[in-house]
Amino acid sequence: MIAKLLRAFREQLFVFLFPAETDNWLTVLRLGLGFQVAFYSLSLRNDWNYLLSGTASGLVTCNLAEALLLVESHFVPRLGWLVDLGPHLGLREEALLSIAWICLLGAACGLLIGLACRLSAILAWFLHLCAAKSGGFLSYGVDNFMTVGLFYLMLSPLPDRCSLDWRLRELSSKNPQLLGFWRRVLQIHLCLIYFFSGFTKCLGSGWWDGSNVWRALVRPPFNMIDPEILVQWKYVFPVAGIFICLLEIGYPVFIWSSKTRKIWLISICAMHVGIGVTMGMYLFALVMIVLNVAAFGPGLSAQRACESASGPRKLSYKSEGWTLPRQ
Amino acid sequence: MRQKYVCASWFALHFLLIFSFSCRETLLLVAQGPTILPASFKSFSKKAETAVSVVLGQHLAASNAIRQTLVTYLHLAGIETGYGYFAPNVPGSYKLVFELRYPDGRVEYELPSVSSPAAGLRLASLLDTIGRTPYDALREHLVKMLALSIRREHPEVKTIRAVFGSIALPSVREFEHGKRASYTFLYAYDFSLQNESPGADDR
Repeated sequence: MIAKLLRAFREQLFVFLFPAETDNWLTVLRLGLGFQVAFYSLSLRNDWNYLLSGTASGLVTCNLAEALLLVESHFVPRLGWLVDLGPHLGLREEALLSIAWICLLGAACGLLIGLACRLSAILAWFLHLCAAKSGGFLSYGVDNFMTVGLFYLMLSPLPDRCSLDWRLRELSSKNPQLLGFWRRVLQIHLCLIYFFSGFTKCLGSGWWDGSNVWRALVRPPFNMIDPEILVQWKYVFPVAGIFICLLEIGYPVFIWSSKTRKIWLISICAMHVGIGVTMGMYLFALVMIVLNVAAFGPGLSAQRACESASGPRKLSYKSEGWTLPRQ
Repeated sequence: MRQKYVCASWFALHFLLIFSFSCRETLLLVAQGPTILPASFKSFSKKAETAVSVVLGQHLAASNAIRQTLVTYLHLAGIETGYGYFAPNVPGSYKLVFELRYPDGRVEYELPSVSSPAAGLRLASLLDTIGRTPYDALREHLVKMLALSIRREHPEVKTIRAVFGSIALPSVREFEHGKRASYTFLYAYDFSLQNESPGADDR
């Protein structure tokens, strides 16, 4: 009896963890993170060496952040690894940092066009992680989410059908259940992110009376909008604060239902657009939108169409890709 | 089928770590407060956070192989922190002003600067780290590094005084009554650039 129950549970778990999926979501993730890494690199092009230098010529030397990281672990990637190669290659630190920046931008281009997808994803993940960890005191939320996105991208079954790799190498279709698994991983991770983000916000009184929305908008360096203009919208702040709390804490519930998924996805993306525009956190907004759209965007309209039809239809797996069977 | 078991095992471990570290950060936020929860929750949260930390190996020696492996994986996957951004409340921000004194008696004021808004966000993150760290030596070292970057742009400067303060933001009502963001002094460091050693630390 117990063995039967366990078997049934295992089967249900595997059905949930390994749904058959197309690779549309992976295309969105690859392209989105390609743009993200490209914008990240370009936005720091003038300050890259200044922020990440390990010598006294930088803003704050990276050596301290790397030394603190070394206490925690010897195996976390850091720019110091690359810089240590300098004497062997006859290159100075500035040259190596510039090469790292060029390689990061190159990896972003590789992701965008889908050339050497896996290598590009690994390179982008590695170099971004090196920069984020060496510049530890200078990193913020966007670096965490970029690492998360690139980590899942490099482990996912690349390349996707829209990549140049696919066209050049005439590859066969990837395992749809493995594609479904990695999409599920991204989906669950986003649910945890928003749940904890929403839950911790709910614990602060300032999100219920709107004062935190005001503070977030006037706090340097996020004060993009003149407070004289903002204060005219003061009655909106409590509504916005409660809306943000409910949107985030309700995400793990309402994003799964086909009836509420579309509205929740649009609302959460709108929230991130708002953060990007009103607080100047463009990179943060972009990476969150990319992760959300990749996780829950593709197949949204198809899913609704399926459900409005007489019964659920299953994806069929053919050598040229995935199709919905005719009714 | 074997691949599925491997994936499912990794999935369970990976999300157990994310969940545990997020819970730990949430408990820490409650313990540090202020939150809307009753004050009695604070001591409970502190104890629970300590217990979760022990389970996650955070109380093991830094050189311990299990802790090193765990920390490495957390960093590689980008899951070493929780997700309590701007929670439970939006904190204030910090400001660092350098007072540059020249041999001819001239005095100038400078702010640490970078050339792009994207780097500006990172600079703000650095100032937050300086403001929030409980370690005086780390704070002093970071301020000194920033002072040295200012000195490179002004090589003829004789002494630099770094004044670090917090920015108190007005509420909506206070703003309507004319109050604006104010600067509260926290620390000052004097750097004599002959020997580059920091002087008195005032609070």
